[in-house]
Amino acid sequence: MDAELPAGAKPFEFRGNAKEWFGIWIVNLLLSIVTIGIYSAWAKVRTKKYFYNNTTVVDRNFDYHATGKQILIGRIIVLVGFIIFQVVSSLNPIIALVMLLVLMAVLPWLIVRSMQFNARMSSFSNVRFGFGGSVGRAFVVFILAPIGAYILIAVVGGIGAYLLIEEQSMLGILPVVITFVGLFVMFPFIDRLVKQFSINNHRLGVSGFHMDVPLGPFLKAALLAAGWVVLSGLVFAIVFGTSIAAFFGTMQAGAEPSPAQIGVILLLYIGFFLIFLPASFIYQAVVRNVVYNNTTLEGGHGFVSNVSPWKLFWIALSNAVVVICTLFLMLPWAQVRIAKYLASHTWLLPGSSLDEFVSDQQERGAVIGDAYTDLDGFDVGLPV
Amino acid sequence: MEEQTAHNTRGGLQGHAYPHRTSRREDAVLETRAGGQDLWVDIKSPEGEVYESAYLSEVQVDPPLGRAARKLTLPLGTVFETDDHAGIENLTGETHGSKLHHWEAFSPRLVGVVVACLAAVWVLWRYGLDIMAAAAIAMTPAPVIEQIDRGTLQTLDFRLTKETTLDEQQQAQARQIYRRLVSELPEDVQEKHSFDLLFRSMPGLGPNAFALPGGTMVMTDQFIKDFPDDDVIAGVLGHEIGHVVEQHGLKRLYRSLSAYVLIAFLAGDVGPFLEDIVLEGNVLLSLKFSRDQETDADEFGLSLAKKAGYEPQGLKQFFEVLAKKYGDREPPRWASTHPSNDDRLKAIDQFIDELR
Repeated sequence: MDAELPAGAKPFEFRGNAKEWFGIWIVNLLLSIVTIGIYSAWAKVRTKKYFYNNTTVVDRNFDYHATGKQILIGRIIVLVGFIIFQVVSSLNPIIALVMLLVLMAVLPWLIVRSMQFNARMSSFSNVRFGFGGSVGRAFVVFILAPIGAYILIAVVGGIGAYLLIEEQSMLGILPVVITFVGLFVMFPFIDRLVKQFSINNHRLGVSGFHMDVPLGPFLKAALLAAGWVVLSGLVFAIVFGTSIAAFFGTMQAGAEPSPAQIGVILLLYIGFFLIFLPASFIYQAVVRNVVYNNTTLEGGHGFVSNVSPWKLFWIALSNAVVVICTLFLMLPWAQVRIAKYLASHTWLLPGSSLDEFVSDQQERGAVIGDAYTDLDGFDVGLPV
Repeated sequence: MEEQTAHNTRGGLQGHAYPHRTSRREDAVLETRAGGQDLWVDIKSPEGEVYESAYLSEVQVDPPLGRAARKLTLPLGTVFETDDHAGIENLTGETHGSKLHHWEAFSPRLVGVVVACLAAVWVLWRYGLDIMAAAAIAMTPAPVIEQIDRGTLQTLDFRLTKETTLDEQQQAQARQIYRRLVSELPEDVQEKHSFDLLFRSMPGLGPNAFALPGGTMVMTDQFIKDFPDDDVIAGVLGHEIGHVVEQHGLKRLYRSLSAYVLIAFLAGDVGPFLEDIVLEGNVLLSLKFSRDQETDADEFGLSLAKKAGYEPQGLKQFFEVLAKKYGDREPPRWASTHPSNDDRLKAIDQFIDELR
């Protein structure tokens, strides 16, 4: 895992600290509550600015340029659209179906707009980012591919189930196996599509990013995660199997659970945390490393990432415990801690001078007109 | 701008410049000189080359944010950054955002902000959620609520229930009691909800009855078989009518949605573990809300049954039998959507006394 760093690697650094961020965060929170949520648009800007400004490499930092007003208008538009959508869909089922199709057509456009907005509002070393993904491609990546994959798998699985149950034919095992493999392949496949779409269409000024990772490493990451689930699940089953089986036995009899069985429910929760969450950290950490290590920025620049899944898992787990025990007052500390960890395991490999990024002047003119989409949840996230 | 020797006494502010919208980062000095009414600002290299000059009033000064470098943008796009916070403050005086920055500083004063925040969060949780839920209910069109009932019933019929095995006479008995109870409600309330009573065979559920948000009521066959007594039926139906009239189902639905929105808005991105824990915690807290609703519905049902001329003891009888049959299998109080039978019986006794 700990490969030697290539010569000339420049470390990313997060210079924020918990004390300072705490003050900003708590004032944000108070003002957001007092203004019944309106200030949260400005709070978002301040938050982003704080984390961007304090993230540096070779002494240059990131910056975020959106204004609270832009964010607020974007949110109001999305909210009004959502309410209209809900009310109109509730009128009758056929209209609801039509609206769903309309939404599917509009969603890719919204996603692209939002990514454009976020990119243009972010800068590094005084040069704005840009995003040039097309709506058509977004439709393929975010709508067509996931739905298509699901339908394909459902059909194959259905055939398998039919052969197994109705025809009593062992031939049915094949489609069932294909279904499981398909489900397993689908996630990394779509994840890669999304990352490709995001990274390859982002640019810094006029210099484009390019990610060059085949499906293989994504599959490997998923395989590692699946391996953890199987292994830890097996251990869990061996240790607690009998009491859980007894629990489900009584559940099927239809009785209300006894206090001892509430304990079993708790155990299942803990099991969930210890089996599935680390798996997701394994996948994310491995993919992050592979993506950074194989992404380039025009001008011969490269990146290095070597985060460890276990360390990430440990930070997230201990953060959660501390934050809960302090009634959320330590949340800023936890956020700074994770930002510091991620930055300190990321490097830039400059291939030429960082003085020579060229701003995309055209984009600068267009910013104001296009500034009105801020869809939370579609922050695809720029470096670090 | 032609070069001039600046008569700056302080030697200028040390920092870095990105001249004219480039990513070129240079050591730079900010110097000022008198320029008529306004102050003239020069951004220069240490060697004295001027990158850009402008009137101070034309310079965009970013608000202060922690210890992050202060940033000044000149009209032609030259950016000057400096860590000399005091120097900038001397230059510009109070800027847009200075007050905010002052309040954000880590000092004993923040304790007051923290206390105000905790108080505000408590008020939000205690009253804000109810207000949000009430507003959402008021904005929900009636067809949507009816659709919820229809959808839920379809799902139930598909997965859990079978057709009723009760004969006409048994159904008529319960319907009659139900109508008598409903007719005791104020007229506008009667019109607002559908108040349909349905019977279903649900062997897994035992003697039970439940109401859907729009007013559809479902009673299990087992209930009529175990409790043919009019007073018991009236007590339990009254309780369920209470849920419908006070819109408990919708309130619970919207409350949990509002809580989710609030948490998302206030806490923002909290990370994978916390998100799960917060959502589970929210479920536990909403259970308390649900238990309070049950107690409310009990009281509503008791008054309604009495008004319609039934003996309120009926509801008590029902819980006594339940306690005998299932008492040893109750979950602990904190993990349940309903109060324990013992608590309920005590509360019912007390309320019946008050009714007299």
